[in-house]
Amino acid sequence: MYILQNAARNVWRNRGRNMLLGAMMLVVIATTVIAMMITSTSSGIIEDYKGRFGSEVTFTPDIEALREDASADGDGGPMRLEMPTIDAEQYLAFGDSEYLKSADYTASTGIVPTDLTVVDEDLGGGGSGMPMGGRPGQQEQEQEPDDAVSYMAQLMGGSFEEFDDGSRVLADGEMPDELNEVIVSSELAELNDLETGDTFTATGALTDPDGGDPKAISYEDLAVVGVYDDLTEEYGQTPVQNAYANTRNQVLTNVDTVLENYDSAYGGIQVSAAYYLTSPDVLEEFEAEVRAEGLPEVFEVTTDESAYETIVAPVEGLKSISTTFMIVVLALGGVIIALLSSTAIRERKYEIGVLRAMGMKKSLVSLGLWVESLILTATCLVAGLALGALVAQPVTDTLLAGQVAAAETATEAPGTMGGGMGMGGGGGGMPMGGGAGGFGPAGGTTDAEPLTELAVGLSPAGIGQIALVAFVLATLAGVVAISRITKYEPMKILAERN
Amino acid sequence: MTTTTPAPTETAMLALRDVTYRYPGTHRDVLRGISASFTSGAVHTIVGKSGSGKSTLLSLIAGLDTAGSGEVSFNGTSLAAADRDRYRARDIGVVFQGFNLVTNVSAVQNIVLSMNIAGSPVKDKTEHAYALLERLGIGREDAARPVLKLSGGQQQRVGIARALSHDPAVIIADEPTGALDEKTEEEILGIFTHLAHVEKRCVIIVTHSKRVTQIADVVLGIKSGKIGVVRSDR
Repeated sequence: MYILQNAARNVWRNRGRNMLLGAMMLVVIATTVIAMMITSTSSGIIEDYKGRFGSEVTFTPDIEALREDASADGDGGPMRLEMPTIDAEQYLAFGDSEYLKSADYTASTGIVPTDLTVVDEDLGGGGSGMPMGGRPGQQEQEQEPDDAVSYMAQLMGGSFEEFDDGSRVLADGEMPDELNEVIVSSELAELNDLETGDTFTATGALTDPDGGDPKAISYEDLAVVGVYDDLTEEYGQTPVQNAYANTRNQVLTNVDTVLENYDSAYGGIQVSAAYYLTSPDVLEEFEAEVRAEGLPEVFEVTTDESAYETIVAPVEGLKSISTTFMIVVLALGGVIIALLSSTAIRERKYEIGVLRAMGMKKSLVSLGLWVESLILTATCLVAGLALGALVAQPVTDTLLAGQVAAAETATEAPGTMGGGMGMGGGGGGMPMGGGAGGFGPAGGTTDAEPLTELAVGLSPAGIGQIALVAFVLATLAGVVAISRITKYEPMKILAERN
Repeated sequence: MTTTTPAPTETAMLALRDVTYRYPGTHRDVLRGISASFTSGAVHTIVGKSGSGKSTLLSLIAGLDTAGSGEVSFNGTSLAAADRDRYRARDIGVVFQGFNLVTNVSAVQNIVLSMNIAGSPVKDKTEHAYALLERLGIGREDAARPVLKLSGGQQQRVGIARALSHDPAVIIADEPTGALDEKTEEEILGIFTHLAHVEKRCVIIVTHSKRVTQIADVVLGIKSGKIGVVRSDR
């Protein structure tokens, strides 16, 4: 017990040299705190990304391969690319994979609401052209053959992204959940005095990819369960302006309602699917599975690497910098602390000699010095944690800004954009070659924003790790002291002194 | 100075047998085949010229160093085989010529530290230390001051108090009165005499002082690495 008390007193008595040693320890600990806060937070973000964004799968047709095939089969005339298709049932089957965390589907089709007036009805309806794939909300191009069916509105299933970003707000009622439940825009509701609880019927048609007669379909008793305010632009980026293209005429429902009239032999109902892997690491397994279920070789199965690069690369760079910095500081700091400890012990040689002459064992002298190191280190640990916590955020912001700029430069460079290609990467569902349904996976260019802010924090485990580092530093100082003490014989020390 | 070689006795508390010592890196024996015995209840003084080996002999007796050959034993046990840290901490009290106090603490803390190292059973060590220092003429105010703020004489008394603090069987002192005035010297010598004659401890003093040799029961002289009895009243 007296060893502890004596050590505590000695820390104060030798405050001059302890301040020097403490300052060095403070720098090492504070730097370690900052580095570990950045590292642990970065790791968390990277893991989180991998768990969410980085695992989105895209099926992208290999255009180059298609060109080569078309060129080889051609007779010298104009080359026609036969875009491959994937059967809708296959897409649904892919969604059952054990490697997927989730599969989000959206479906849409043109409709003509019976006995309802639609917004911009005077501009006429739109064609039954097929969207060029991609996810809902992306720009669509349309083909409009002469015999196209004219639609006045769109029935869209599972397309609720605008409610997440706030551009659409539910003004009344509730979101559609059951079969045949729909919500309509407030403009469409006003035009027709529609209220929640009202029902209406809509008709439509499925197109024959072989040029045959369209197949008439109808959606009976669509029940209005809500009305939404639409803050999006009426036509967005769509150059065509008619009732069909007007977003106020979008009747929103669930996917099952739209697919009620799905017929794999016909086109006219476009479906998108977004697959999310349980982990980016199972991509190969998932690809093997979908290949076995019939995914043509012409489709490449990829994850959204550009989003990964955009979001994660700065964080990984930051993590790398902080880890390297921490290692350097620990190594240099360790050496400096060892040297300072060695010097401090040499200065206390006489004191040690006296204690040894009084009969204090080497082990107790060493223990006392080690406890002094521990007390000093514990003090520096508290101060270092406080200082580190204070400085970590601004340091992180500065470092991250540099990393984001570097990542942006890298992604702007030619050839580095992954999954873009204008085709939206959803080409698998494009029935350009006369396939059955407009069914394709979501994907393509990422709208991922680079991480510009990183709120660093330190978990109890992180504090434990830093305490361990501090303990190692204290022990290092103690070991230096002990190794010195073993060389000291009291008689020699006292003789030198006297 | 007429001397006879003292032979170790059966009742000796401390005994040296044919002890030789040579400092590392030198070619000359400082001590050459020394044999002597020190008994309880007596004041022993060791006299000799500077460089004769008095302090070296003291360091061997104090267990601060080990003999090149021969044996130093305490109560029949060779120090070479004993736990010399424990011996220094509990069995002997040393008053160093250069005081050798822990300089960054107070006088009273020096005493308490010594008692702690010795594992003294005294409960209120601080109060015991104050009392001991007071007995040696150091008041509470001075006792609480850092030792380096005290005069040489006061530091010498702190050294003596420290040597006595853990109630050792042997008290070894190297010029213990060198820094003291006559009055204090008398007081200190009175204490040593009391420790030997009343408390039956073994007191060994290395000195140049005639006054100190006058109160000694046994006077040993060292010359050219050899020891002899100059006077013995026992």
